[in-house]
Amino acid sequence: MPLRPELRNIQNGKTPKILILGSGGLSIGQAGEFDYSGTQALKAVKEEGFEVIIVNPNIATVQTNPEAGVKTYLYPVTPEWVEKIFELERPTAIIAGFGGQTALNCLLDLDERGILKKYGVVNLGTPPETLRMTEDRDLFAKKMNQIGIPIPESIATSSLDEAVAAANRIGYPVIVRAAYALGGLGSGFANNDHELKTLVVPALVTSPQVLVEKSLKGWKEVEYEVMRDCEGNVITICNMENFDPLGIHTGDSIVVCPSQSLSDDEYQLLRNAAVKMIGSMGIVGECNAQFALCPNSLNYYVIEVNARLSRSSALASKASGYPIAYIAAKVVLGYDLLELKNPVTGVTCAFYEPALDYVTVKVPRWDLGKFKGANRELGSTMKSVGEIMSIGRTFPEALQKAVRMISENGEGLSWFTKALPEKELQDQLSVPTDTRLYAVLQAFRQGFGIERIHSETKIDKWFLSEVANIISMELKIENLATNYKGSIENIASVVEGVDGAGWRHWKRLGFGDEQIAGLLIKKAFGTAKESETRLVSMKLRALRLEKGVYPVVKKIDTTAGEYPSPSNYLYMTYGGTHHDEVSKDERPSAIVLGGGSYRIGTSVEFDWCAVSSSRCLQKAGWCSIIINCNPETVSTDYNSSDRLYFEELTLERILDIVDFEKPKGVISSMGGQLPNKLAIPLAASGVNLLGHSPETVDNSEDRSKFSALLDTIGVEQPEWVAARTREDIDRFIERIGFPVLVRPSYVLSGAAMRVAYDRASLDRFLSAAADISSDHPVVISQFLLGACEIEIDGVAQNGEVITSIVSEHIENAGIHSGDATMVVPAQRLYVETVRQVKRAARLIAAGLKLNGPFNIQFLAQNNHVKVIECNARAARSFPFISKTVGLNLAEVATSVMIGVKPRVKRHIEDELPHVGVKAAMFSFTRLRGADPILGVEMASTGEVGCIGHTFEEALLLSLEAAKVTAPKKGVLVSAGAEMEKFRFLESAKIFQDLGLPLFATPGTASYLESHNIKVTSVSWLETDSPNVLEIIRKGLVDLVLNIPKDDRTEELTKGAQVRQAAVQFGLPLLTNMEKITAFARALNALPEFAARHKVACLPQYQV
Amino acid sequence: MRQRCTLILSNGERFQGDLIGAPLESSGEMVFTTGMVGYSEAMTDPSYFGEILVFAYPLIGNYGVPPLPKEMTYPLPSGWESNKVHASAVIVSIDSREAFHWNSFEPLSKWLEAQGVPGIVGIDTRHLVHTIRKSRNLLGRISPERPEGYRNLGSINPLTVGQYFDPSLQNVLPEVSRKDIIKLGKGKIRIGLVDCGVKWNIISQLLKYDCEVQVLPWDTDFSKIDCHGWLLSNGPGDPIMTGDLKDRVKSLLQEDRPILGICLGHQLLSLAAGATTHRMPYGHRSHNQPVYVVHTRNGYMTSQNHGFVVDDKSLPSDWEPWFRNANDQTIEGIKHKTKHFRSVQFHPESAGGPRDTGWIIEEFISEVKKSCL
Repeated sequence: MPLRPELRNIQNGKTPKILILGSGGLSIGQAGEFDYSGTQALKAVKEEGFEVIIVNPNIATVQTNPEAGVKTYLYPVTPEWVEKIFELERPTAIIAGFGGQTALNCLLDLDERGILKKYGVVNLGTPPETLRMTEDRDLFAKKMNQIGIPIPESIATSSLDEAVAAANRIGYPVIVRAAYALGGLGSGFANNDHELKTLVVPALVTSPQVLVEKSLKGWKEVEYEVMRDCEGNVITICNMENFDPLGIHTGDSIVVCPSQSLSDDEYQLLRNAAVKMIGSMGIVGECNAQFALCPNSLNYYVIEVNARLSRSSALASKASGYPIAYIAAKVVLGYDLLELKNPVTGVTCAFYEPALDYVTVKVPRWDLGKFKGANRELGSTMKSVGEIMSIGRTFPEALQKAVRMISENGEGLSWFTKALPEKELQDQLSVPTDTRLYAVLQAFRQGFGIERIHSETKIDKWFLSEVANIISMELKIENLATNYKGSIENIASVVEGVDGAGWRHWKRLGFGDEQIAGLLIKKAFGTAKESETRLVSMKLRALRLEKGVYPVVKKIDTTAGEYPSPSNYLYMTYGGTHHDEVSKDERPSAIVLGGGSYRIGTSVEFDWCAVSSSRCLQKAGWCSIIINCNPETVSTDYNSSDRLYFEELTLERILDIVDFEKPKGVISSMGGQLPNKLAIPLAASGVNLLGHSPETVDNSEDRSKFSALLDTIGVEQPEWVAARTREDIDRFIERIGFPVLVRPSYVLSGAAMRVAYDRASLDRFLSAAADISSDHPVVISQFLLGACEIEIDGVAQNGEVITSIVSEHIENAGIHSGDATMVVPAQRLYVETVRQVKRAARLIAAGLKLNGPFNIQFLAQNNHVKVIECNARAARSFPFISKTVGLNLAEVATSVMIGVKPRVKRHIEDELPHVGVKAAMFSFTRLRGADPILGVEMASTGEVGCIGHTFEEALLLSLEAAKVTAPKKGVLVSAGAEMEKFRFLESAKIFQDLGLPLFATPGTASYLESHNIKVTSVSWLETDSPNVLEIIRKGLVDLVLNIPKDDRTEELTKGAQVRQAAVQFGLPLLTNMEKITAFARALNALPEFAARHKVACLPQYQV
Repeated sequence: MRQRCTLILSNGERFQGDLIGAPLESSGEMVFTTGMVGYSEAMTDPSYFGEILVFAYPLIGNYGVPPLPKEMTYPLPSGWESNKVHASAVIVSIDSREAFHWNSFEPLSKWLEAQGVPGIVGIDTRHLVHTIRKSRNLLGRISPERPEGYRNLGSINPLTVGQYFDPSLQNVLPEVSRKDIIKLGKGKIRIGLVDCGVKWNIISQLLKYDCEVQVLPWDTDFSKIDCHGWLLSNGPGDPIMTGDLKDRVKSLLQEDRPILGICLGHQLLSLAAGATTHRMPYGHRSHNQPVYVVHTRNGYMTSQNHGFVVDDKSLPSDWEPWFRNANDQTIEGIKHKTKHFRSVQFHPESAGGPRDTGWIIEEFISEVKKSCL
């Protein structure tokens, strides 16, 4: 059937309008994958000639680009705002399957409240009843029992006898969970009646009910991606096997596609179950089914079903080459799979299950070290902030590629080689954490065999044997340097005797040139510096190429070569001898380097930059080539470039691709700090950089050089010193005094950057910064209190600024710019300040000879402007600024790089009809133990940006989109310092006038009372009443304000308890006084905002 | 250290790799399969007799090979589609040297050695797949560095084979069909299963229903068999090189007993009906062949292994296409317009591959039951 009947009335002169729900700001568990799926859905719908409306406040996404035929509404994805958009736009239909759980929940709400019915909006895709069935454990279990699919039994018991009976019915081992207990309190595994008793007796003391469930610990976790059309045709796109057995959230697991340890019997058994489930539940579109498979029989259970596009489906799409989201969108429009072609091959039907002739490995990227106090154990709550997928023709090749890309500097898995006491290593194996893979590697190095590691980890022995192969080769490689007596520079000579076959063997096991160099240097000299490793690796590369050893280019075509395919989805491997035939392209070509894994500090905004850059190249008649390895991105879509290399962003691999493609140049300034760091080594290897010259990059990144430049051109900066010794630091502090900012060079997201307020905290940070690369000194700079922070984003050509936009932080300096709330145009700057900022930008552009995108950050105090830093690359703020002002800075920058002079206005922000505010999204709910406090280290996982007619409108919208909703019940406040208490008075009066009950901790309460504010004092102590936790638990407040004195104390303070309680109960938490004041003022200025606000879409780009 | 081994193709191309399995010379028609699991099923599938089987998926042997029980009991063991490897040789990119699966008896290379079958690892199988795809009827020869003889080809004398063995030039059914009649299972209905190299799972699937299965040698005189329905099995080679089998099938069309043909059995039924077959540019050998029922457009994912196909235009008027391939629109099944004579080019019994079309066997059985009521 070509289209659903509701969508067939184009001929009546009425174009159907389809509203697509997005997923909002990125947070842990709901990230960039929904930009991929939403963008594909948008394309699939737009092609049909329909009008598309997208509702998503995530301004940094590709799907919210204000393009022709698309109306972008930057609004919170909630039924209230969507209803207002319904009212204005009167859409024909809604699609909710591409915006994650946020969109599905919104759809279910819209359905329940009768809003869909009221506006006659048709839901395309899986019906709400089915969605509820997949979400409701009981309904789901009932359905599964009906169709004979086993699901793990769970019995609620309220006495010991009942529990024992239940356990015996289910069969040991069982897992015991105390009901209504937060944080897994009172849960554990029992293998027999005795163990059960020791768990259940204490659990029943605190909880009225204990759940006894079948324990599937150590079972294999296998997922299937399934698609079904409205005619009932079903395919499974691929399956995926978790390297880590059941028990670790699949988002935190290493995932391999296709499955490796399953026989045909097992594969088909689970496939059959998946096909049966999706059919009997009536799902239309895409669905993910998770199974537990017994490691030594054909027993299995279904764990859960997600009736929507998910992280797994994004991964499956990239792993298989099958454009899942695009086809799923066509399917929900009414097409059946048989009438759709797979756009990747052009010859095969969409009713087709991809055959892979390679293996892909996904490895999560955690940033747990960035969250103070966060628990590193992995379990049922996802904690990773990003992921990498790698492709190879051997498992070790794929695994090593992936591990290189999740480590900070591409080190790979030979870098984590600290010998550990046996007991400690054993614990690290049995308790899964973010570093367990390294523990497994180390265990092999320390002689633990496959059997022992398997018994501790339950990781399938096939995977372990593959890992063992890597480690035994690692040993052989490093032993080549055992008796080496020469200089570091010449150490490559020890591999001269290795022939082509030997090299290929290393490479098929995934060893990188730098990894080999590092192994040799470490063996011979004890440690290896980054600069030495790189130098030696380049010599190794030359030796290797001399022996004719280079990787070959292979295509991902979904058919394993069965059909000829025009696909330009490529990867490189040593598991082959011949390049695939890649179509010739006569146009000039450029490689755009993507951003790699999402992490704190590098997220969807850099993907937007890379995609914009690629599209600009295509518009200019160039052949665009993207290199990236993040499956959650739009840049790794088959149609975001002319050629996609799903490859690691390492110097070695980029050079391999450059050797094969011979592009005119490489763009390294669009994907964030990871590719930016590669600019200089690439240039040193003879690669032509497009845009900024390597000197420009070096002069902006190297603090000493940049600082010297600022002195020459007469631009002020905070006092600083590049300290190599403790004496350097002491002398500097004697002169400047505290507080000071401590940081290493080449920072992104403020890694290891801290403010030291006194000698004690300084000592602590310096010892914590010990692992900072010895190639770079520690930089200490003066920290200004109470200064406002200003940014300028722009594009320069040959040292001349051709366009620039000034924006302002709401928070004072001291909050990382990625966590700060940003407004454009700036609201409260003196004209003189702006003049100084723009003048400084012009001088810096000329001084650095900027030739491409840039971002400069300033401090301003009393009309006195100082430069903090200059990024000679696209910045995180680019999509926000670009969409707010209607000028795509990434495209302008790319034009400059390929030598086109763009016609743009120099300054545009002061003529805007609206104001834009960007707010950060945090994921603290997922990070048990982490203190949700902000500082110079970035902690946010995503951002949202909204526009309004006034600053206040935009602020309230973006805060709501970032889950800071207007309070309705009450406000809890505790302000540490006297100054903060005073500054809070204005907000307190506003909350009081708005009729909101105020609660405050004793000190703050008495201060407020003495200033005639009515407030209830609540005790810190849990034994008193009312106390802080009590009023949070009882739901008396729906906004928590906590202003810490400073971040001087590391240990858990009382304040941290309040903050964590707020996060645990899902309450909005604000910890910055400037933001609180702005929020209170906006609430005061716009009473009944949601009811009165007139929704408006984002205007189109001007150029 | 494994010895080097060379694959020499009839177009002159050579590929070097390492030998696994038996150190024997071998030759056959070059074919590839893109299935990602089910390697032991494929290697033991008699339809691969005389073929050098290339696996497009690079990692083969990950879950080892399951044991073959000494005593044959039903249901037949999974993982085996006959009691030995039929492919002339196998070519994989990488083999797992150890196997850890709970149902594994031995690793791939050891098994191949015990089976007297040579294999090559370390070849760029994707490139080889491209090469096979681009050439028609490509033959190959396996040449180990230190060969210890020639792979056993049954009654075919390797010395008479010449440089390359082409299984489509002769009738190879005697090599794969059983020599005597065997009766399996119990039930009111009796199925005559013509063994042209039948896969064990066809037997297992039939035995799921209350019936007696008589497995018949390919050259059985059908008029002597007392059964209620016929199943023509899969098998190797060119359907026209099957002696008088086509004519004996034709005689069955004069009667009304239900017939189900599978793979070669489908081609034989088509020939018997008066249609013709031809060799495809490259066969369908994978677990992901999409087919649809011509009348309803219902789609199914199927497991396939064939190099010949029924000519679209040659189908007589009392027959019609039942299934078509959704990719290339070739005929994937035919049915008689009035009688229950049906056949499918794919494998409804799967093993390996998806099990979406098991209903075809069920439907056949119920038709047989109906016809003898």
